[in-house]
Amino acid sequence: MIESLRFWAIIVLVAFGLFFTFVSAVGVLRLPDVYARAHTASQADTLGAGLALAAVAIALGWQHATVYTVLLLFFVFITNPTAAHAIARSAAESGIDPWTTDDTEEGESK
Amino acid sequence: MSNDGHQEGGFAVAADRLLVPLSDTVTVRQTVGYAVRSGLERSDELEVHLVVALPHEADLPESRHHTADAEELLSKAANWVREDAGSASVTVETALLGTDEYLFGPRDFADTFGDYAQEHGIDLVVLDPEYQPGATAQMLQSIERELERVGLAYDEAPVERPARHERLVGDGTERFDRLFAMFWISYGFYLVLGDPTYWFDLVTGAAVAGIVSVSLAQITFTFPLDRVQSPIRTVRFAFYVPYLLWEIVKSNLAISLVILRPSMPIEPTMTRVNTRVRSGLPLLALANSITLTPGTLVVRADDQRLLVHTLIPSAREGLFDGDLERAIRFVFYGRESAAIPTPRERGDTEIIGGDDQ
Amino acid sequence: MIPSGVTIEEIFLGAAALFVVLAIMMFYRAVAGPTTQDRLLAVNVLGTNTVVILALLAAGLDEPWFLDIALIYALLNFLMAIAISKFTVERGGVL
Repeated sequence: MIESLRFWAIIVLVAFGLFFTFVSAVGVLRLPDVYARAHTASQADTLGAGLALAAVAIALGWQHATVYTVLLLFFVFITNPTAAHAIARSAAESGIDPWTTDDTEEGESK
Repeated sequence: MSNDGHQEGGFAVAADRLLVPLSDTVTVRQTVGYAVRSGLERSDELEVHLVVALPHEADLPESRHHTADAEELLSKAANWVREDAGSASVTVETALLGTDEYLFGPRDFADTFGDYAQEHGIDLVVLDPEYQPGATAQMLQSIERELERVGLAYDEAPVERPARHERLVGDGTERFDRLFAMFWISYGFYLVLGDPTYWFDLVTGAAVAGIVSVSLAQITFTFPLDRVQSPIRTVRFAFYVPYLLWEIVKSNLAISLVILRPSMPIEPTMTRVNTRVRSGLPLLALANSITLTPGTLVVRADDQRLLVHTLIPSAREGLFDGDLERAIRFVFYGRESAAIPTPRERGDTEIIGGDDQ
Repeated sequence: MIPSGVTIEEIFLGAAALFVVLAIMMFYRAVAGPTTQDRLLAVNVLGTNTVVILALLAAGLDEPWFLDIALIYALLNFLMAIAISKFTVERGGVL
């Protein structure tokens, strides 16, 4: 019972992890400017990575390596938004204007 | 860095033209007061040049409020000088520096002050020991050294600063608290990665944690640790994490729907939100939380004014409702402080970009 | 309840393969840009994906020491993002 619960928990976590990472990949390809891309790149991806790492932690069970995975999870959750913020700030400071719905004709850089 | 006034020999004789660089610190008032007082002791006539150096280009839209703040600070300081001068003959000059270039680091600031000093025949710079031009441009090296390099005489105002700004010196218990916390954090981290039952790891871990805590404790904790409050905050933070995770999942699903829909109905806007949390760790936690919840991305977090890019309207509304801000206030200041009006009710929100840009 | 014929290891390896595909999608943005920040962002996401792939491989191949590499990689990835985004703004200043 516990085994099958664990099995399905892993399946669900990995599936959602893949889904959110897929969303982030689509977002990075589709969204119009660097700020919008930073949204999905940092957040959907963080959640995707977090879920996948949680699946790994469950699969490893109670052993030393699990601690690593949990640490990794923490790092990803703390560093990813910080990195995204740094990138967005650097974009703002190098004078990249945010894309808005008004300038669609300027070309959706896709 | 001592608190005593430091004077370059030979320059202090006839200092009748003073340059006082101002920045928004807790000690700026005392610095101005000291400049006037010490200047009048040395000579009867005094010319005080108050300057604010802007670390950003003034014409960037996001630094306009910096310029406005700087002008406000200058006019305030000019009043202080007149107040302190009383009947003595003191002339006040104010100037904004660095409006046409991008200043980065003490070297640039020292150069700018040097140019200004040469132009106006400045004899002495009175320096605020807390001088910090703009929250983004952290002082990596001391500005004192750079001032010496450009050959400017300076005098550090002997101010009484609140304990939280005591760098390096600090009083005994505070210093011990920081060392203690840092030591156990790094030791714990070391043992998590290593093997807590193996004597070799225990010994090397203690050594490494000792080195790390001595060298980095003052940098890691820029605020005083409170023996009661800090552990409580940690506990409250543990309550905050599940809430944050739930928010993340919820808004991630919302944003996924938007992105995967072929028409992709996004409405990116730049907004500014004035938050009611102190800078430092609370601000970092809030900014990171805002960034983590999809649809909102903090672009700038120089001070309490956050520049947030929002992707979809619902995320913007959520931001203006300030749920995360309340949660962060709960974590750092306790339950009573959490009940504050939303940013929208306070009028602390502003949509910039989008339509007018 | 566990479907026969599929092991957890295989699931992890399959997931790792799919993550690799997603990482390759990210390459488009890293190459196309158009701005430095776009590329940086794409590389950062790629790095996060790499960390996840390493972790999945660690579980799938039962090689726990892959996690050490993943940990280091995550830290380096973060440092890279910070360093380059600082570098692009502060006119070549070192951090």
